[in-house]
Amino acid sequence: MVGAVHAGSVAWLLVVSIGTSALGGALGMASGIFIVPVLTLFGRLEIHAAVAASIVSVIACSCGSAAPFLRSGLTNIRVAIVLEVATTLGALTGVLLAGILSVSFLYFLFAAVLLVSASQMMARRHEVLGETEETNLRDWATLLRLHSSYPDHALGRDVFYRVRRVPLGLALMYGAGLISALLGIGSGVLKIPAMDTALRLPIKVSSATSNFMIGATAAASGVAYFARGDIDPVIAGPVALGSVLGAVLGARLLMAVSGDKLRLLFVVVLVALAAQMLLSALGIHLTGHTA
Amino acid sequence: MSTGLAGRSELDRLLASVLHRGTWLGGSVIALGLALPMAGWSGASSTMIGTRIVTAGIALLIVLPVLRVFLMLVVFVRERDFRFSAIAMLVLAIMLLGSVLGVVSSESPGVSSIANRR
Repeated sequence: MVGAVHAGSVAWLLVVSIGTSALGGALGMASGIFIVPVLTLFGRLEIHAAVAASIVSVIACSCGSAAPFLRSGLTNIRVAIVLEVATTLGALTGVLLAGILSVSFLYFLFAAVLLVSASQMMARRHEVLGETEETNLRDWATLLRLHSSYPDHALGRDVFYRVRRVPLGLALMYGAGLISALLGIGSGVLKIPAMDTALRLPIKVSSATSNFMIGATAAASGVAYFARGDIDPVIAGPVALGSVLGAVLGARLLMAVSGDKLRLLFVVVLVALAAQMLLSALGIHLTGHTA
Repeated sequence: MSTGLAGRSELDRLLASVLHRGTWLGGSVIALGLALPMAGWSGASSTMIGTRIVTAGIALLIVLPVLRVFLMLVVFVRERDFRFSAIAMLVLAIMLLGSVLGVVSSESPGVSSIANRR
């Protein structure tokens, strides 16, 4: 009896996490953004337990899908390590705040941030790409030698890019780390807009670099939650395993989708998630009613 | 731009293989732990051992990004890139502070009373 229940829940958690992780990976997001709602709404799990379990899957997703991005030269690891100072500090702040802030407040906050990110993405779509190239040799990005290039397979050549507004990027990343630890998400959903609008990275570079950073960000809160004993292996185990498998599928999909399509898909997902977050904040659960 | 592209992509490849292998190792350990109670001889002890193995796999996954930052630190130090060595060391210190924070808050009651709802 116990064995059957165990096997059933393991299979359910595995299937759910493979599906969400593949979708998350294809959008350059970690699966946590889907895992927490699924675990709380359908799995009827307490939110803190879902967050702690999700953090492990977020790490697994990031690490499992990092290799193809690194090998194809899309990940800017220098930008990543600089921004990780801010994301990990944010994550520690999130761990400290986790027990203090009300979950309802966080859902509201997150819904607002998602909508702002979605509108930023839409605005950027209509922008003229060729903006005035002022060469400021004393800015942070130049001092830290963050400017780089990436191979664009569509153009068949390397595309050089300059990194801008690092201090603004750091501030946004601190917030992303905070939200990541509080809600058990990768915050790729916040990191990518931050890197697009503040640092002005090409979308494929920001997707790959964000994905890379998510692991270290989630590990900062992950070690804290693990040491605290918040991570239930019976839930976190199958979810993490499913995420590893799903992340591999998702990374392959991301490589095949164009930047513009990816951006549009991203906007749609942002708006849908914002609506779901708002409903959760108001205590309305769609699964509760058979509408 | 002074550090050659070759050096940078070498680090990229190293990190790629460590993260790839580490994830599959962690995932395999978790799979082993999950499969154990289902392998036939069902009982409380095999479930308990299985859960321990799953926990070890989870620990492996959590430590993997910490190892990644440590490897970056080693490479930056070897390249005499002291500015980035300091940055990597700072990230590592923050991560280790996280584990201390977790242990401390687990010892103080009330802060985290997290139980699963059945």
